[in-house]
Amino acid sequence: MQQLIAELKVKLIDILNLQDVTPDKFDENAQLVGGELGIDSIDVLEMVVMVEKDYGIVINNQEVGEKVFSSLTSLAAYISEHSARASA
Amino acid sequence: MNTVYIGGAGIVSSLGAGLAATETMLRENRSAIRPLTVFALLQGTPLPVGQVDIPGLDGVGRDPALPRTHRLALLAAGEAMAGAVAPPDAIVIGTTTGGIAVTEQLLRDGEQDKERYRYHGLGTVARVLAEEFNCTGPALTVSTACSSGVVAIALAMAMLRCGTVKTVLVGGVDSLCRLTYFGFHSLQLVDRNICKPLDRNRAGMAVAEGAGMLLLTMVRPAKPLAELAGVGLSCDAYHPAAPHPEGQGAFMAMSAALADAGLTAADIGYINLHGTGTPDNDLAESKAVRRLFAVPPPLSSIKGATGHSLAAAGAIEAVVALLAVSRGLLPANTGLMQVDPQLGVAPLAMPAERQVKAVLSNSFGFGGNNGSLVVGAPGVFASKGSPQPVAALAIHGYSCLTGAGDLLATLDRLKKGGSAAGPVGQEPISSSLPPQSIRRLKRLPRLTLSLAKMAQKAGPGDLTPHAVFMGTGWGALSETHDFLARLAATSEQFPSPTDFVGSVHNGPASQVAIMFGATGPNITASDGDYSFEQALLAASLMMGDSSEPAFVLGADEGHEIFSPLLDGSIAPGSPLADGGGALVVSRQAAGSKCSIAIPFYGRGVDGAVVDLIAALGDDWQSSCGLVMAGIPAAYEREGKAQLADFVRLAGLTLPVVRYRRLTGEFASASAVAAALAASMLDEGVVPGALAEGSDIVLDGRRNKILILGFGQNITAMELSR
Repeated sequence: MQQLIAELKVKLIDILNLQDVTPDKFDENAQLVGGELGIDSIDVLEMVVMVEKDYGIVINNQEVGEKVFSSLTSLAAYISEHSARASA
Repeated sequence: MNTVYIGGAGIVSSLGAGLAATETMLRENRSAIRPLTVFALLQGTPLPVGQVDIPGLDGVGRDPALPRTHRLALLAAGEAMAGAVAPPDAIVIGTTTGGIAVTEQLLRDGEQDKERYRYHGLGTVARVLAEEFNCTGPALTVSTACSSGVVAIALAMAMLRCGTVKTVLVGGVDSLCRLTYFGFHSLQLVDRNICKPLDRNRAGMAVAEGAGMLLLTMVRPAKPLAELAGVGLSCDAYHPAAPHPEGQGAFMAMSAALADAGLTAADIGYINLHGTGTPDNDLAESKAVRRLFAVPPPLSSIKGATGHSLAAAGAIEAVVALLAVSRGLLPANTGLMQVDPQLGVAPLAMPAERQVKAVLSNSFGFGGNNGSLVVGAPGVFASKGSPQPVAALAIHGYSCLTGAGDLLATLDRLKKGGSAAGPVGQEPISSSLPPQSIRRLKRLPRLTLSLAKMAQKAGPGDLTPHAVFMGTGWGALSETHDFLARLAATSEQFPSPTDFVGSVHNGPASQVAIMFGATGPNITASDGDYSFEQALLAASLMMGDSSEPAFVLGADEGHEIFSPLLDGSIAPGSPLADGGGALVVSRQAAGSKCSIAIPFYGRGVDGAVVDLIAALGDDWQSSCGLVMAGIPAAYEREGKAQLADFVRLAGLTLPVVRYRRLTGEFASASAVAAALAASMLDEGVVPGALAEGSDIVLDGRRNKILILGFGQNITAMELSR
């Protein structure tokens, strides 16, 4: 799980271009969307694409999405729960 | 008399071609939304779209290489012009796709012959129409996402009202392409089933295509179809893709359209909603409607029938508004099964037959770009005052960016006899901007924001622009390229929502609006080398007697792959240059540094140089210190001949500087020229390096700089102190 969180930090910093954030400064329990990082609906969609592309998990329901992207920890939990690859 | 009549109209959409076919489909409340077939997908089930399926569409136009967008425009324009006895004095087109559908295919085929990309530019649609209908006046192109059609009509109306032209062919057009099909899908804004605007279970739009065209005239036709009574534009200045949750901008646009028409809400007999079918749009729009109308009149969205044809939608729905006032047809909200009770409005479940005097029609787009228009029955409402001449705009601040750096660095380089050509460095376009607000922005929006920030800072501190007029020859090339590249690389599986939002031509101007809270009109013009001039023309026309300041911007990015393919002036393998310029302008001369006007804009046809000289008036040379001439490399032969004609016919004795030799080749080089001219007037001297030798003092007697554009169009910008 910790490994997945560390992996996701690097991915999010890359795809969302969070230039002033480093993996060790990225608080996995902080509010992800609408929080201090300025992550909004477009970023959520970009993360949805990443989750599908890299982990083969489709998130196309807004309610599910809101829960999944509430923090980096919840995202990691969702991925490991739904992904054969991540849990293997 | 200042009434704007609709003398002719044309329409093509998924419902069919022509007013009669459209009316029949609307009366029968039929949807034309079907699974996409116009291009093949690499995988998956085609999504429902509003596709134009008309036999013979491929044969429209003179050139077999014409993209679908151009053909749709020609088809609708042909219907609008059918009864016209003379060419239109001007053409204004709103489009977001231009020739991108062809470009997408060429890129996939690895085509390197730039000739094949010649119809890529948005401005080529208006040019093809100008050639078809022999229009030699201005052919303008605006691109403000899904409000483009209404914004084009607003600009046409301003041209007519100021008396410079008597007739304008105006409209909006877009064709289906991979960029919009996959782009809206990546934003999860497409309903996989049936598009059902305002429905409780609505889940998005159906991307569509089509064209709507109007022939507007100040000369009362024998049988006017309707009158264009008013238009209103606004910007949410809120988010690059999502609407303001309370529909603030929508409310402002509708209110402005009513005020412009001199009507009240009670005069409106039908509202044609933007109503795309996305959860957010329909909710925000309903809130705005309920705020403006105590008891809303009958209303509906036709997008459940046609789909959302993007830039065409505003013009197509202007035609629908005209069917309402002329034929008494109020279309149903096709696709609606169960109205969303949260919206608090009651859309027409079935088509209604009713005489209405005035219709309000809404179009909203990405960047919070909103437009509303009022179409009225002929002769019902009193016409508005007399034509207003267009006065010069006072310049309060200016900036530029070139390969040399900012304005000071650029001037410094030029004074030493050097060239400022080259790509703008990363530092000047990123360092002054807050990192978090630009993390998703690529080169063009960063360039644009930096220019706006510098120009505003150069003016008096209390001037905050309310409106934005932007010119960009090619738009956000990085975002467009990256979107298409990732689409292809992932076999159409993972298009980027961020790049799609960033790819729209009005993206940079909407970023400027967000940064400065500019909630007024927000217009992006795009026609290759003449885009900045069009933006200036739009500002001159649209600012009216408003006391609010505005930005006039021009910027283009040099893109390694796209620029040499798309821009005729950039030879493959030659070094890239980019940059732009920005002005803060207003109608208040007090405290300004100088002023700018655009005395001439026309197509580069025979006789245009004579018209240009006539437009400059008598004796302009005695007060002018310098002529700056812009000849894009692609039109070196024509441009040089035009300039030679000008020198000969005007008996020119002033020094002429070919400014593209100093700025490098890029579409909005003229914006740099304008900023440099403003700076020279401000400092009171033309450096000798720009004036064939010795310094020219600009004083009370010599206080003008003329910037001419040659090639496909001939333009004149005049800066005075």
